[in-house]
Amino acid sequence: MCSAASAQSLRLPPHEKLVLKNGLTVLLLEKRGVPLIDIFAIVKTGAAADPSGEEGLASVTAALLRKGTKTRTAQQFSADLDYIGGSFGADAGADFTNISAEFLTKDLARGLELFSDAVLHPTFPQGETDKILAQSLDGVKAEKDEPRSVLGLYYAGYLYGTHPYGRPSDGDELSLKRIQRDAITKFYEANYAPGNTILGVAGEFDAAEMRKKLEETLGAWPARSATNTSIPASASAKGKKLLLIDKPDATQTYFAIGNIGTAANDPDRVAIRVVNTIFGGRFTSELNEALRVESGYTYGANSFFDSRRAPGPFGIFSFTKNETTVPAIDLALQVLEKLHKNGVTEEQLKSAKSYIKGQFPPTIETSGQLVRRIVVNEFYGLGDDEVNQLEARVDAVTPSVAKQVIEKHFPLDNLIFVLIGKASAIAPAVKKYAEKMDQRTITDPGFWPPPAAAQK
Amino acid sequence: MTTIRYRRTVLLLLCALSIASPVMHAQSQDFPVTTRTLKNGMKVLVQPDHSIPNVALYIFYRIGSRNEHPGTTGLSHFFEHMMFNGAKKYGPGDLDKVMEANGGSNNAYTTQNVTVYQDWFPRSALSLIYDIESDRIRDLTFDPKKIASEREVVASERRLSVDNSNFGLLDEQLWATAFIAHTYQWPVVGWMSDIEHWTMDDLKHHFEMGYSPSNATMVVVGDVSSDEIFQLCEKYIEPIPTHAPPPPVTTVEPEQLGERRLVVHKPAELPIVMIGYHVLQTNNPDFYALNILRSVLFQGESSRMYQRLVDKDQLALDVSSDVEPAFDPTLVIVTAQPRQGVDPQACEKAIYEELDKVKGAPIGDQELEKAKNNRLVEFYREMRTINGRANTIGTYEVFMGDYNKLFDAAKSYSAVTKEDVQRVAKKYFGANNRTVATLLPEDEGSAKQ
Repeated sequence: MCSAASAQSLRLPPHEKLVLKNGLTVLLLEKRGVPLIDIFAIVKTGAAADPSGEEGLASVTAALLRKGTKTRTAQQFSADLDYIGGSFGADAGADFTNISAEFLTKDLARGLELFSDAVLHPTFPQGETDKILAQSLDGVKAEKDEPRSVLGLYYAGYLYGTHPYGRPSDGDELSLKRIQRDAITKFYEANYAPGNTILGVAGEFDAAEMRKKLEETLGAWPARSATNTSIPASASAKGKKLLLIDKPDATQTYFAIGNIGTAANDPDRVAIRVVNTIFGGRFTSELNEALRVESGYTYGANSFFDSRRAPGPFGIFSFTKNETTVPAIDLALQVLEKLHKNGVTEEQLKSAKSYIKGQFPPTIETSGQLVRRIVVNEFYGLGDDEVNQLEARVDAVTPSVAKQVIEKHFPLDNLIFVLIGKASAIAPAVKKYAEKMDQRTITDPGFWPPPAAAQK
Repeated sequence: MTTIRYRRTVLLLLCALSIASPVMHAQSQDFPVTTRTLKNGMKVLVQPDHSIPNVALYIFYRIGSRNEHPGTTGLSHFFEHMMFNGAKKYGPGDLDKVMEANGGSNNAYTTQNVTVYQDWFPRSALSLIYDIESDRIRDLTFDPKKIASEREVVASERRLSVDNSNFGLLDEQLWATAFIAHTYQWPVVGWMSDIEHWTMDDLKHHFEMGYSPSNATMVVVGDVSSDEIFQLCEKYIEPIPTHAPPPPVTTVEPEQLGERRLVVHKPAELPIVMIGYHVLQTNNPDFYALNILRSVLFQGESSRMYQRLVDKDQLALDVSSDVEPAFDPTLVIVTAQPRQGVDPQACEKAIYEELDKVKGAPIGDQELEKAKNNRLVEFYREMRTINGRANTIGTYEVFMGDYNKLFDAAKSYSAVTKEDVQRVAKKYFGANNRTVATLLPEDEGSAKQ
């Protein structure tokens, strides 16, 4: 388990990049210590490419990869995978589809063969397709029983409107009923292509042997052209709007406040991270200090930037009992105003920098974490310096840089509010936050009026 | 998107404690642990690993909600929160501020059995962490203002994890019904009326009862040497005086003599079924066979229950089982979420039929092999991080009585036979031994009647 300590500066372990003849980008990272191998692949098309009205298409396609191939039924795939104690998962986020697998080094040949089988040879059997669609539909309903798990979906829906980032990546009660098998196979054919995929492998293996094995398996994936997905620009919302989702039995209000944030490659990203650590990114953040530690309004309050190809959402998130909904939201807004008014101090910066640097190493500790990191960086066009220069970039943030970042990236006057709670108890009081208040019930289908409600 | 950092939590189902199992070449020399028992009785376990310049430090106190009484349920968990709210040197709020300013972070969890404090930090903060930990173990203070605000925080936590969570609510009701005598019957977070009524005296008494160094085990994994940890312990921890441990929990849950059923009516989109079966405490010879059985039934999409309920009959969205590490006889809980329109009793029936099959005939060779393979991979998944290792080593030490059992588990699992699996299925999964909790969706109108 023991290798040399690298106390001074943190660097990614050496890794190599190659492009197979069929166009597949491959990243390999050897990591000793535990006899496991991790695969993480990105197909560069995600839920943002779902047709309006068929939200969930990319996710369902991913979920079906293991549900029947040219040589295996769904059941056979699971039996073979489980026998070696392996894992396989595939899902779609807004920007990309990710496919991951993990197995013991001794099972490399079998594990790689299973992974390739699912990615290269899925057959999308009608029966399995119907099953996944029906399960996904019930999955949406199950999520709505836990308000905290759907707050982000309503928030994105209300914040982005018809922009693709407003769509629920796992679909909703209406869209999942519209998806046909034909659309799934077309989505697969249009997007699952080696030239549209980045594949990373990390763990205990020999790189030369791994290259050979990958050539034999994924090298056989026929080259074909793929749709080039573009994400439309996303513009910040103007003014103040509030969406209240009624959950009549709620004893606690769950709220999100914010606006559209930043893109993954934003030049200010490290400074934003430092400032957000101070504002809402750790336990002693200003938000958590105010809403939890000092007032006891909540068990937790935080803020974060979900950075993507196009600017993703920024939000403040918390929850409080019905009776303290207004004081808690007022307080969150005061903390935001204070950030704009006072900026951050040298001492706060020093603390946040130590915190980010001190907490970073365990995020690149395992082969699973490392492979995900290098593949995602590759996808967003961010190099190894994203890790290797992190400490230097964090250290370079000064109070004046922080001030600019606050003005540019943290909203103040233009804010979107989304609340899930007991409307009869809180609606009259929360109207004051916005010029416009919309209201829906949690059992209404979708996560705000479906994007464009497009019917085919 | 909605992820809020939940910290200082009640852990209802401590999944990490499905206790991993090495089957192959996982030897103790791969993960060398050095131990020392301090003069005040605290046992310290150290496992150096220099792969990242960080350290995970866990302190397990053998005190949890099982040591509580009616009227002050949830006190262990509330006390855990108060351990972050001020001591002599590091006053209210200082602990978190100082720790984070030095690159560290922390958390804690409380279960029915233990209260566990966790620190994660760069090695540069090592002696600071010992200063902080010794300060709060020795000289915790109770500020009435902090008690008042933290009480609200815990009430919010309860609303989050129980009152506004159908799974949390049903789980609470299940324990309250399955146990009629033993203290596992109340929730770790506490009943709301108890949360509202704890006093400062209750807190002080709890500290005196549960927080003797001799009642704790410390585990340190990461970029350290055993010697430096023992030196830090000598300086900071060893001078803290020891005292009597908590009084033993003597109540034994009487044998359940027939099925118990309960229903929760709540506005919901989907029903939930939870079935609790009484099983022995963690440190018992059936532990390994029971885990193999649970793997065969519930682990992976090729497992019997998944194949039957989720895939073939399409009765449930999901089906799983959990068992928490426990000092006393506890529950294995089977949870299924019926699909919309499916009668929860249809899920129940399918579950019982699958249980009858494992009782009626031995599992297949391949199934046994698969379960053992899964336990092996799980072991490596736990052991691959300094954090996972600190938790796993500590859990074996505390609940199995010896961390070495982590490395002996290989042998223990490979010794499990198909007959053992059948035997534990028959022993525990009978109708008389089960409590069935069902959450039935109810719309607003009828809910008020």
